Amino acid sequence: MIDSLCDEEREEEIAVACLYCDFLAQQEQTVTNIMGAILKQLVGRGGIPNDVRDAFEKGKKEIGGRGLLLSDLMRMLRAAISSLSRVFICIDALDECLPKYLPELLKSLGYIVQECPRTKIFLTGRPHVREAIQRYFAGVVVIPISPNTDDVKNYLEMRLDRDDDPEAMDGDLRAAIEEVILDKMSDMYVELFQLYR
Amino acid sequence: MAHAAHTPSVNIGDGNSRCGNITHSFNTTFYKSDEDEQIMRWLSPLEPSNRHQGVRTDRLDGVGGWLLETSEFREWRGGRGGADKGILFCSGNPGVGKTYLR
Repeated sequence: MIDSLCDEEREEEIAVACLYCDFLAQQEQTVTNIMGAILKQLVGRGGIPNDVRDAFEKGKKEIGGRGLLLSDLMRMLRAAISSLSRVFICIDALDECLPKYLPELLKSLGYIVQECPRTKIFLTGRPHVREAIQRYFAGVVVIPISPNTDDVKNYLEMRLDRDDDPEAMDGDLRAAIEEVILDKMSDMYVELFQLYR
Repeated sequence: MAHAAHTPSVNIGDGNSRCGNITHSFNTTFYKSDEDEQIMRWLSPLEPSNRHQGVRTDRLDGVGGWLLETSEFREWRGGRGGADKGILFCSGNPGVGKTYLR
């Protein structure tokens, strides 16, 4: 998704920022760090704006350097977005965000779309976060993602082509592997889903 | 002035730092000076572009291309945005490929 948007970015003045939530990094992925990472990507391409530089200098004067406050960050983010013609923000796996951070994160994203209506936000997550998202964005468009047979088939073919023991493979075996996996595909996802619940 | 690609000097272990070598324009962050680098780290210790590089390397071309053709996506992408129209949520169970949508 990020790359598709980036390809268009070269044609128009569009900026794309992304973040992958990761349950292994939950403690570090605070709302401030997430929004900071978005801002970092937006300002990294041009030069660092003066307001960001000034805030950094000011913070440095404090003993040991002062950390960022979310409210300061949101103000800088709003200014950075306003200087760009279009901005896409992609956040993957919202369900892996620590639940106590999620409301604040959604609130911050709501602030951005409200203040900067040209911003587009692309989110992914497991179905259970849908409710939380809809609480903040009642009219959000939801696209259900399910395994796509063509995608799985193409991926399988790529992996079989790269098999490191081609001697052991023949047309019959290949056809059998594809048939079984595609046939079991839907069952596998049901089992996986139950396992996670 | 020499431009150098930024690599985090500490292992921040945020799961977003899987790969070091960054080639795509989106992932390449050039910082003009040490101070710029400090500012970037002050803004956030997370380096999502590293994780993105890992995803795009592993991804098979064309996977999830169907999404780009849906009317929901097109409306979100091309629409004027504003309020909730600017937000698109792709919902799916573990392992269905949400991260790897093209």
